[in-house]
Amino acid sequence: MNKSPSPMSWRKGDNIAGRPWRGRVRDYDLFKELTIGVIVVGLLVVGLSAIFSSPDEPGVTLKSWAAAAPSDFVATAASELGGTSGTAGYGPPYNSTADASQHLGFFNPQELSGVRLPIDTAQDFVINPLKTLPTPPPALATWTAATAAQQAKWTADYSAALAAAPDGDPARVPSGNYGPVPALTGALLGMATAGNLDGALQNSGQPYNLDYTPTILFLGDGNYFPNLAAAAHLTGDKWGVMNETGNTPGQSWLWLFSLLYQVEPYKSSPNADILVVATMLVLSLLLLLLPFIPGLRSLPRKIPVHRVIWKDYYANR
Amino acid sequence: MHELLRQAGRAITPGTYFGWGEVTIQSGNLVIIIAMLALFVLALLLPFPGGRSRK
Repeated sequence: MNKSPSPMSWRKGDNIAGRPWRGRVRDYDLFKELTIGVIVVGLLVVGLSAIFSSPDEPGVTLKSWAAAAPSDFVATAASELGGTSGTAGYGPPYNSTADASQHLGFFNPQELSGVRLPIDTAQDFVINPLKTLPTPPPALATWTAATAAQQAKWTADYSAALAAAPDGDPARVPSGNYGPVPALTGALLGMATAGNLDGALQNSGQPYNLDYTPTILFLGDGNYFPNLAAAAHLTGDKWGVMNETGNTPGQSWLWLFSLLYQVEPYKSSPNADILVVATMLVLSLLLLLLPFIPGLRSLPRKIPVHRVIWKDYYANR
Repeated sequence: MHELLRQAGRAITPGTYFGWGEVTIQSGNLVIIIAMLALFVLALLLPFPGGRSRK
């Protein structure tokens, strides 16, 4: 029994794929198109990126923070020593602070991840970096020998005194019993100003360090870095998710993510992040399953915008 | 706020923002959104390229 060739087969047959082309033909120069494509597109890419590329802002480092806002740096260092900073109370993956993580009912992915990157802010951000100095400050021994209660009292008293001082200036703090705290925070400020603290915090023991987590956490605990972000409209409550610095267009496709953070109940919820992600997951599922959802899948038939766009085609049908 | 930007080693470009009450929008994003809306309106008004010859 002879089997007829399939409609798309190259074998001879009377089907449409086997017939010779009888329509119009024209010359086509692949090299010409390739050359024009590479040169024209290349020039466009280079030219447009020179004009419109995203701005290359200088990175904020612990050194630049210490130089620009030393009082804020000292106040933050005191809060790291006392365990009262944002990082110290963040919960997983850095520590096990109770009720600190975001959850959706009983579902708590932050708790599920566990404390994978344990950070003791006093040890990791202040004490250990100071130990790397050629001549560590003698105040380290006083701090280490004190009880936890005494350490907490020193740092609480010093933080309160800093907050009350004019401009938070450590030099204008009234005298009091702050133990070794002013000496430790002062030494850390000196270390940061000299540019040594960035290296000490990022020392992962590897030849090339790509882990900036400790630095970013320390920066985020102060007021200087978050205020810079707020001034550049980059915080969540200012649609920061979709903004760039300067006038460069940002990630405008993230507008729906950003919008949810501006409206209730997301806006004031302590679980805003997980609520927004859950909402976007549900909306994404709706989009993915659109062909199977009665009513929603009929919307194009009821609102025929496509008929306006392809009006020529529909006029001739 | 702008004082803080000046304090940064080299200033971060603040950008131009337009605001109506709670809503603020960066000029670059506004241009992109207006361009997208304009393209959509053009798609509705202009004939589809090549559409006339396809019978």
